[in-house]
Amino acid sequence: MVESCISNKIYSYKHECKWPNSEAADVHNIIVRKSRSKGFLVFFSALLILANVILLFLIKDKSIAVVFWSFIWDVLIVKLLLRKPVEKESVVVMPALGVQLETHYVSGKIIRRFVPIDKILKPVLLECVTPVTCYWSLSLIIQEEAELMLVFKELRPPVKMLVPIWKALCAATGSEGSLNTFTDDGPCC
Amino acid sequence: MGDSKRQRILMVSDFFYPNFGGVENHIYLLSQCLIKLGHKVVVMTHAYGNRSGVRYMTGGLKVYYVPWKPFLMQNTLPTFYGTLPIIRTILIREQISLVHGHQAFSTLCHEALMHARTMGYKFTLADVSQAICVSHTSKENTVLRSGLPPEKVYVIPNAVDTAMFKPAAERPSGNEIVIVVISRLVYRKGADLLVEVIPEVCRMYPNVRFIVGGDGPKRVRLEEMREKHSLQDRVEMLGAVPHARVRSVLISGHIFLNSSLTEAFCIAILEAASCGLLTVSTRVGGVPEVLPDDMIVLAEPDPTDMVQAIKKAISILPMIDPQDMHNRMKKLYDWHDVAKRTEIVYDRALKCSNQSLLERLSRYLACGAWAGKLFCLVMIIDFLLWRLLQLWKPAEDIEVVPDIVLSHDED
Repeated sequence: MVESCISNKIYSYKHECKWPNSEAADVHNIIVRKSRSKGFLVFFSALLILANVILLFLIKDKSIAVVFWSFIWDVLIVKLLLRKPVEKESVVVMPALGVQLETHYVSGKIIRRFVPIDKILKPVLLECVTPVTCYWSLSLIIQEEAELMLVFKELRPPVKMLVPIWKALCAATGSEGSLNTFTDDGPCC
Repeated sequence: MGDSKRQRILMVSDFFYPNFGGVENHIYLLSQCLIKLGHKVVVMTHAYGNRSGVRYMTGGLKVYYVPWKPFLMQNTLPTFYGTLPIIRTILIREQISLVHGHQAFSTLCHEALMHARTMGYKFTLADVSQAICVSHTSKENTVLRSGLPPEKVYVIPNAVDTAMFKPAAERPSGNEIVIVVISRLVYRKGADLLVEVIPEVCRMYPNVRFIVGGDGPKRVRLEEMREKHSLQDRVEMLGAVPHARVRSVLISGHIFLNSSLTEAFCIAILEAASCGLLTVSTRVGGVPEVLPDDMIVLAEPDPTDMVQAIKKAISILPMIDPQDMHNRMKKLYDWHDVAKRTEIVYDRALKCSNQSLLERLSRYLACGAWAGKLFCLVMIIDFLLWRLLQLWKPAEDIEVVPDIVLSHDED
């Protein structure tokens, strides 16, 4: 049963509640929307390079080895750019048991990590600054670990999708989830 | 003075906490006062060691420590366009209306201002819509060197936190006169002058003691001077003094000595006067404008002249009342006053009409034969890069940070 759904250009968020009448698992999914344009662009440019080289071979009599090597090169580049695409990442919250973090790849591979409930000290929403950009991320503070555990390893969903997941995690771990006064609109007096 | 609208201000500088100095303090205290006046302030600076990312300071002051490495004297590498993406991101996500750059030597500041200018933001500092200088001497310098029209340059002096710098309840007694020096021991702060002045004064006045706080490359010279003239019991070297302890060092003395070779304003002498010390200083830069004539004795940056000045100071010392000095300083210098005056400059800057790219380019061409054309080229490339960024990462995709209001149970 799908309870809520938010989406933007790249990601869409689905909250499902399995076995709704009991206190069982709560699943939050962040699904990557299929973007045709990226794959199209990569294939198109690879094709262009190949066509160019074949033309060179036919007109300027370059050796077949060049065509062969550029074909290999093309394949490598395509594989690199379209490598390991993620289909979705989910958070399964099992109250009193723990939290399971899953990453589903397009190739069918699934990576799961489980964190027991008493190891989680607090889920936090942080702003990460890199030399070129700044984005929000959701992490868990784990007992006896120096590093924070990222809930979403590969994807960077927007904050409006992270907030309900953060609230659910807070409720499950029993930590206070208040942000004092949280206003979404612009400057208010 | 009517009610101005609430602004969202971005302060940019290479110099901020955890570094301690005049500029850093200025930015911090000004930001706190502006927050109290109801504006929102965000500070952007480069990362210091491990300290990188977003931090929050008192009053909800948000600081972005951008992970660009400083390469020379705390300045980030001037890559021209490297900081464009992150500055654009910060300007959009915090919905900034005004950019305030600090310190003419800060490369991060200049880059930020250049990019903000390209993106059409209003802002204050040199070669822009408005500029703020801390003293009239500084204003003269700025106007002469940057060619900015004087009407666009405002003078708003720094202030001092008089609540923190209070004189001691009782003056240090005894017939000893204690002269305090607190500064970074570098060439610019006249450490070499101290090396000449201290032995001379100690010879002339057997009841004078020196306390020297601060550290730096010239410390070695001062230690040598101490050894050479056997002044170990008359000159006390404290090493680096954390800002929180400056007051306790100041109130242990009667006279404050400042030997800077160049200074736009000098907050140190304000702090000393607020603690009730008589100041002896070199007559450089903006120093003569800072204190009233009866609170300071000025000298040329020359050892003999300074010794004469110290002589004069010692003679007028009995007539000084520390509490009276402190009260006068409270009235003269106040950060809330500085914040209100800065607000007025902000309002004027915002009223400035937006110059289109072509108008600005024509102004740059007038700068000089080769320099003008170079500036134009730089700005055109910046403009193109900005447009490219807009296509690649449109502004709607950058999320706006929600306003988090702190609960008012503290304060």
